[in-house]
Amino acid sequence: MIVFENVTKLYPPNIKALDEFSLEVKPGEFVSVVGQSGTGKTTMVRALIGEERVSSGKIKIGDWDITRLRQREVPYLRRQIGVIFQDFKLLPSKTLFENVAFAMQVCGHLPSKINTIVPQVLKLVGLEKKIHRYPQEVSGGEQQRVVIARSLVHHPKILLADEPTGNLDSINAADIVNLLEKINKFGTTVILVTHNKDIVNSLRRRVVTVDAGRVISDQKVGKYIL
Amino acid sequence: MILLSTIRVLKFAAQDFFRNFWLSLVTVTILILSLFSINFIIVVGVISQTAITAVEDKIDLNLYLIPDAGEDDIAALKSELERLDGVKDVSYISKAQALEAFQSKHQANQSIQDALREVGKNPLSASLIVEARELNNYTAIIDSLNNLSKHAVIESQNFDDHKTLLKTMSAITARTRQVGILVSLIFVAVTILVVFNAVRIAIYTHQKEIRIMKLVGASNWFIRAPFLAEAIFYALAGTLVIIVIFYPFLQLLQPYLGAFFNAESLNIIAYFNHNFITIFGIEFLAACLINTLASLLAVGKYMKV
Repeated sequence: MIVFENVTKLYPPNIKALDEFSLEVKPGEFVSVVGQSGTGKTTMVRALIGEERVSSGKIKIGDWDITRLRQREVPYLRRQIGVIFQDFKLLPSKTLFENVAFAMQVCGHLPSKINTIVPQVLKLVGLEKKIHRYPQEVSGGEQQRVVIARSLVHHPKILLADEPTGNLDSINAADIVNLLEKINKFGTTVILVTHNKDIVNSLRRRVVTVDAGRVISDQKVGKYIL
Repeated sequence: MILLSTIRVLKFAAQDFFRNFWLSLVTVTILILSLFSINFIIVVGVISQTAITAVEDKIDLNLYLIPDAGEDDIAALKSELERLDGVKDVSYISKAQALEAFQSKHQANQSIQDALREVGKNPLSASLIVEARELNNYTAIIDSLNNLSKHAVIESQNFDDHKTLLKTMSAITARTRQVGILVSLIFVAVTILVVFNAVRIAIYTHQKEIRIMKLVGASNWFIRAPFLAEAIFYALAGTLVIIVIFYPFLQLLQPYLGAFFNAESLNIIAYFNHNFITIFGIEFLAACLINTLASLLAVGKYMKV
């Protein structure tokens, strides 16, 4: 269970990115968080992965109050949460295999484990035949699939996707959303932050609408209402 | 797992060292200049010490005695001198011994030999030679000897110039050391700035990797460690290169030093060989410390993890 409890985030001089933001997400849910640019969606994501300290309120994952995390505990939080951003953030000098393996190497995993898991996650995203290609040799949709594969190597309980289809055409965007649904079916909680109306409407899942740092609508099977 | 992570940290650091080769080259070059100046101070120190020892050996505080000085008077004066503070030894040179030594020293000079024959008798005086325990004792001994100079058996003395020579030598040695330390400190400060800048640029060029490492949950230690390891690589490269280039420099210097002093009394290469671990080991550790400090400053300032 992810709980945002009256979370406020202030930026100097007095800009409220989140304003008494409250939200509950149950384990295994697929939630779309929608809203226009600058409404606090990305601040919510950054607060959830410990990149931003909130000004007041609480964020809990299970019994874990992550607003009181010590700096050295942040990496352990991030291994529990897979994160996908709009810009693909792949290393151009590494192959697709190496890009995914990098996420495991920097967390101290053994080569034998890396050689087992990386092909599995690349197969899951449908890239098992392109593992030795470089990012610039595959399409934008495939690059985003690699990022998804990379976010899955630690078997996260939560997958945060912040505008994952922002740089993709409609066909590739649909593929990515299908992949997120597939991951959700394995039991992973998925929070999809987007302002893509078509995707949200086609999903027919829970939709949380954010405006001015507050939740203004929370529909169990929702539509994009802005 | 710690070993595996350490190997990966070293691998990332090595990759970065060679990827930013020109930046690494400049950083290591500045470090080499620092180490060169420090080693040069060591050489100057060794030369100064050898020169002082040589002067100590050559300084004779001679008290020349009147020709008809009695054995008892000479013995009394000798024992009086031996009781002075800082005096190590007092030796008596008779007229005959003085002549023998003089002839031996100038045996190649025919005109001096002819002059001695012309005089027909031994023109030299017997003398007492005073040797100090340490160079520093000479000044006090000279003062004491000046008070003794009215002693009945003393004809003359020859130690006035030594005081000036010793003062000049001490002053030159101290000044050379001061300038050397100042130059070294400047190079150390420049090294800190250059390493700081190199790490800052390395962080800048690795922004993407650092961002990914943070996102996937790499520990803060793992993210920072390659930059610290890189600083140690600079220290290692600098120390290895200074060893490679300083020995040829010493080989160039040695013939001049050997000719000026005495090849047996000053072998600068042998000195560095004998103290190899101490000199280069301490320099490596000091360079590691300075570079790590600069790297920590840069990482702390430019990398928020």
